[in-house]
Amino acid sequence: MSQSLRFASLIFLLGILFLLDILLGSVTISAESVLRALFSPASADETIRTIIFQFRIPKALTAVLAGVALSISGLQMQTVFRNPLAGPDVLGISAGASLGVALFALGFSSFFSFGILSFAGAWPLALVAWLGAFLVMLLVLYVSTRVNDIMTILILGILFTSATGAIVSILQYFSSEAMLKAFIVWTMGSLGSVTSGQLTVMATAVIFGTFLSFLKIKALNAFLLGETVARSLGVNVTRSRLGVFFSASLLAGTITAFCGPIGFIGIAVPHLARVMFRASNHLVLLPAVLLLGANVMLFSDIVSQLPGMQTTLPINSVTALIGIPVVVWMIVRNKKFVSV
Amino acid sequence: MTGHQPDMAIAIRNLSVGYASVSGEAFFSRSNLSFSARKGEMVALIGPNGIGKSTLLRTLGGFQKPLAGEVSYYGEPLPGFSPGKRARTLSFVSTESLQVPNMRVAELVAYGRFPYTNWLGKTSAADRRLVLEAIEKVGLGGFANRQVTRLSDGERQRALIARALAQDTPVILLDEPTAFLDVNTKYEIFHLLHQLARQNGKTILLSTHDLNIALREMDKFWILLEDEALEGAPEDAVLNGWLDRLFSSGHIGFDNSAGEFFFRKKQAGTVAVEGEGVTQLWTVRALERRGYSLNQAENADLRITIETDDQQVTTWLLTTGSHQQRFDSLYDLLIRI
Repeated sequence: MSQSLRFASLIFLLGILFLLDILLGSVTISAESVLRALFSPASADETIRTIIFQFRIPKALTAVLAGVALSISGLQMQTVFRNPLAGPDVLGISAGASLGVALFALGFSSFFSFGILSFAGAWPLALVAWLGAFLVMLLVLYVSTRVNDIMTILILGILFTSATGAIVSILQYFSSEAMLKAFIVWTMGSLGSVTSGQLTVMATAVIFGTFLSFLKIKALNAFLLGETVARSLGVNVTRSRLGVFFSASLLAGTITAFCGPIGFIGIAVPHLARVMFRASNHLVLLPAVLLLGANVMLFSDIVSQLPGMQTTLPINSVTALIGIPVVVWMIVRNKKFVSV
Repeated sequence: MTGHQPDMAIAIRNLSVGYASVSGEAFFSRSNLSFSARKGEMVALIGPNGIGKSTLLRTLGGFQKPLAGEVSYYGEPLPGFSPGKRARTLSFVSTESLQVPNMRVAELVAYGRFPYTNWLGKTSAADRRLVLEAIEKVGLGGFANRQVTRLSDGERQRALIARALAQDTPVILLDEPTAFLDVNTKYEIFHLLHQLARQNGKTILLSTHDLNIALREMDKFWILLEDEALEGAPEDAVLNGWLDRLFSSGHIGFDNSAGEFFFRKKQAGTVAVEGEGVTQLWTVRALERRGYSLNQAENADLRITIETDDQQVTTWLLTTGSHQQRFDSLYDLLIRI
């Protein structure tokens, strides 16, 4: 199968999954009604129209954005750190974003006694998440220049995630019950609670971050050969790294801010893309990861809705159950992963 | 010597290399280094471990700033080079591990065209031709579509050299290109680099610990010692006794007449060997390995007579005082003494 055929089938699959995501949900709506609502809204039932346009389409779009953003962010980190186990969640980048949100939502709102998560604009929320993500990224970068050991950096990510948990626990003592509940719900991750205003911010940030990642294709390729060779090829390593980090934390931070921490997409999707496309060149990998990420996230969303049932699963659990086997398989297959 | 020296491919004057700490104080450094290399020369940077070979190479590659002094390529000082120009003047083969999944040899070598391609890194037909040429030159023809992860250590080193060739730079720097290779492959890599220097006029600077091979293949040695930096032809290094100084422990030395390194052993005694030709030579070597030194006088501790009968069978007769014993092989002889 040629590369373009692979891309074509991913695009086709994306269309199908997007439609399926809109068709299926906790309220059973016939395919015919959904299609009517989509293609001739005037003749459709009012309730169905609301469900489709106010809930299901924004949620499907959120899934696409989240999948794209987390996967590209994961690919960038795996390349820059030359580490197949890197990802926004593993390195603590998502935790950094969460900490930003937690400090903002629980900390400040305790002082000013209003619920930021529900009332504050989408931009401040995104901003604190980006800041948290970027700061952790810089910390990881700093450590990785001192300690040339992949395991140490991964353990640092775990430590940082635990530290975030600890700080959040402390904050919870000082928070009101309502705020606490809103925060806990946020930590479970959800694609459905994104408002239209947040969706606009999300889309803007994800498109910008993705655009930045495409500008860095050449530098990302150079990083595969290691820092010294990248330099010898004329790459400005420091500037390129910061550019990639900016893009990665923008992408991961945005999704964490609005959907909560969603794990294992960022680490698993790049591996699926490498297996499917048998490529190392980011000119191929980046669009591949983009499309695969959107597909995997839509699929996870469809599964989390448990079509035909009243309840929905937290998206977090679904992505973990899909992502972890991929990671385990990758570790088992690639025994020498430490030296990569 | 002052002014521009365009025939000097690499010129280093009073260079200090090392790492400056935050306070500005150098906590590792080598100062006052002056070395040079002409166009098309193959130069080995040698010195004990930890003496600063890699640091010097990194400074020459422009990856870290010199603490003082100057480096110039073809008469142009390195600090004035833009990253792009630097990448078109010198290529670097590092010791960093290379285990990138899904990368073919041709893709790896195509990285050499990096400084010449657009922002997406798209290669032109001319680029691809240069890549294939480079692959041919290092003897990897037919390997273009092989996965890099499937290459042997020697093949991978060749592929990395091909990448440097594809970069089409007049100067190639290599950090220990023959470390971790078996002896055959070490010779092959040195031979390959030698050819590239001769046939393509590349100036090649490499650091190495393989002195025996370097002595035969290199045009020049840059020797880094604890308190001195010396340069000259490998033979100059031998005649001036510089190689002896590489080994601070005193246990290892360089035998100028044999052209070999030797290990100074504790004296076991003296031995007189009677015999001829190759057998005599290797008998002496075997005894030296055991710490005996040759002494053809009457009062030697041991006396060995090599005898060959009509059927061309060689035996060794060992005489200690009044006691005599005959051996069929050197192995048996060595067990006894």
